[in-house]
Amino acid sequence: MNVAESGRPNTIEISHLNHWYGTGDLRRMVLRDLALEVERGRTTFLMGPSGCGKTTLLTLVGALRSVMEGSVKVLGHELKGASEATMIQTRRHAGFIFQHHNLHRSLTVLQNVMMGLEVKGQSARDDAVNRCMEVIVAVGLGEHAMKYQDQLSGGQKQRAAVARALVGRPDLLLADEPTAALDSKTGRDVIELMQRLAADRGMTVLMVTHDNRILDIADRIVEMEDGRILPGPPENRRSGPSGRSNPTRAQAALR
Amino acid sequence: MPSGRTPLGWLQLTHSRSRFIVASAGVGFAVTMVFMQLGFMNMLFDATVQIHKRFMADLVVISAEAKGIIPDSGSFSRRRLVQVAGFDGVQNWAEIYISTVSWTKPSDGTVGTIVLFGVPTDQRVFADPVLDAKMQSLRVLGTFLIDEGSRGDFSALFDQMKAGQQPTTKMASQTATAVGTFRFGASFGTEAIGIVSNETFLHLVPDRQPGVINLGLVNLYPGRHAEAAADQIMAGMGATEVKVMSMTSFIQLTRDILQVESPIAIVFTFGVIVGLFVGAIIVVQILSSDVQDHLAEYATFKAIGFSNRYLLGIVFEQSAILTIFGFLPALALSLLLYQVVGASVSMTMAMTVNRVVLVFFLTAAMCMIAGAIAMRRIYGADPAEVF
Repeated sequence: MNVAESGRPNTIEISHLNHWYGTGDLRRMVLRDLALEVERGRTTFLMGPSGCGKTTLLTLVGALRSVMEGSVKVLGHELKGASEATMIQTRRHAGFIFQHHNLHRSLTVLQNVMMGLEVKGQSARDDAVNRCMEVIVAVGLGEHAMKYQDQLSGGQKQRAAVARALVGRPDLLLADEPTAALDSKTGRDVIELMQRLAADRGMTVLMVTHDNRILDIADRIVEMEDGRILPGPPENRRSGPSGRSNPTRAQAALR
Repeated sequence: MPSGRTPLGWLQLTHSRSRFIVASAGVGFAVTMVFMQLGFMNMLFDATVQIHKRFMADLVVISAEAKGIIPDSGSFSRRRLVQVAGFDGVQNWAEIYISTVSWTKPSDGTVGTIVLFGVPTDQRVFADPVLDAKMQSLRVLGTFLIDEGSRGDFSALFDQMKAGQQPTTKMASQTATAVGTFRFGASFGTEAIGIVSNETFLHLVPDRQPGVINLGLVNLYPGRHAEAAADQIMAGMGATEVKVMSMTSFIQLTRDILQVESPIAIVFTFGVIVGLFVGAIIVVQILSSDVQDHLAEYATFKAIGFSNRYLLGIVFEQSAILTIFGFLPALALSLLLYQVVGASVSMTMAMTVNRVVLVFFLTAAMCMIAGAIAMRRIYGADPAEVF
């Protein structure tokens, strides 16, 4: 059920999205009447000050949180009022890269990556190990496939996490500050790698980041503040998913 | 890993080897405790029917109230036994007198009690051929054989006998001469057991009437079915003060009565429950902390699309692993302990297949229930928290 192939131009369509935390007097609005469309096959960065609701938005798009009000369509699934089964299905069609690598410490790199196939029920196939190794080699961990996470450097761990997210060939890749725990050089390497692999596979990428040094990698930068998307300058749409926004736009995004 | 399922439970448990060993040892401890409780309980039951098995008989005739041979056999008239002897298929029969009398213990000279069996010396009564051969020596009035398993240090007495002497002792205010030994094996209920001839019995225990016996042994011609014969004799005799039953049924009856009427079963069942409870607590602790340790990883798995059911499967897998790795070493240890304990109290502590199966399922149930308790925390793994 590859929804992205149904001809829909947008991977993500959000409208009138409201979200809040807490109840009663403690109720706090985090997203207000938010609207966002993310085109298929493009890399979109989500920026903004902390507490503006970026991560909340990402968890809603990733079906990790229930939509309270408004509409969130991801890969053709309406997540407002979606059942647990639909939520889980949506998660399986998305790849996740977290702030921390979140690798399982009792598993080797290969086993961790295999979990990305297992969740899709594809780990019993004959080519499962080959598929995993292919991705592991692609992220440059070919020699470390049998290592546990405590034998890897920070960048290697995050690259293993990228491999886990990509191995299931998701239609959508969601990432939340994947470079936060890495030094800038390593961070940039990981993001470039991720972007390249995603572009090769025609994946849509939505990434939250604070990292100014990697902004040129994005096709589009969306800024958030106080639970809303800020109206940006008219987008300069590129022909291909691997296009780059020009430096001045990136500078502008830094306010 | 061609099955397609990563054995996460196994990998997580064995990731820290020392913790895995401690966990297995905890389960093994509980299992060993359960095995020992059941072993002790059955040893008690076995010990009580041990005496039954010493006699050679297809059928027994006992008083209607009899629950076993020692101590509650009850008495009945010898005429009933003679009546049984008249039935078709009966080859031979023997009358046994049983009484507990006071005696002066040759071990230390104090007064104790001894269970006396008065048996006919002119026919086969005991299953053990060695003991049967000694019956001749009892034909002299006032002689007795003593159980080597009698409680206390009788080595001086045995040494005297070995040296060819015939030591005497006071038995119910008469003088009795020890002429030999036999081995029934210790039992919980009796201090000492002696065997005498019927004539000596009536001589030593003057308040017993000749012809009022406690146990009748009946042997059938080969090929006769004991149960059927017992039923037939019971129906034909129409007596209400005695029971005729096969030795096998009698043994079962004694066991059953002991199981139901004595507190033994309750005491040891309680012990089993305590053992399982302790084991369950240990497993809950181990699995809970394992779940707790991996909560972030579980949340990640949920975020990438694994269901709660998949994660619960990990905990169940761990329960199953702990069952196996706790049970097998504990079984081996218990077999060893059965040998050691059995030898030290001169009783047989036997492991039965039924018990192994029963304890295995109890262990599995214990671990599964503990797993079910531990896995409630899985629901606390919030996938939205991992970002």
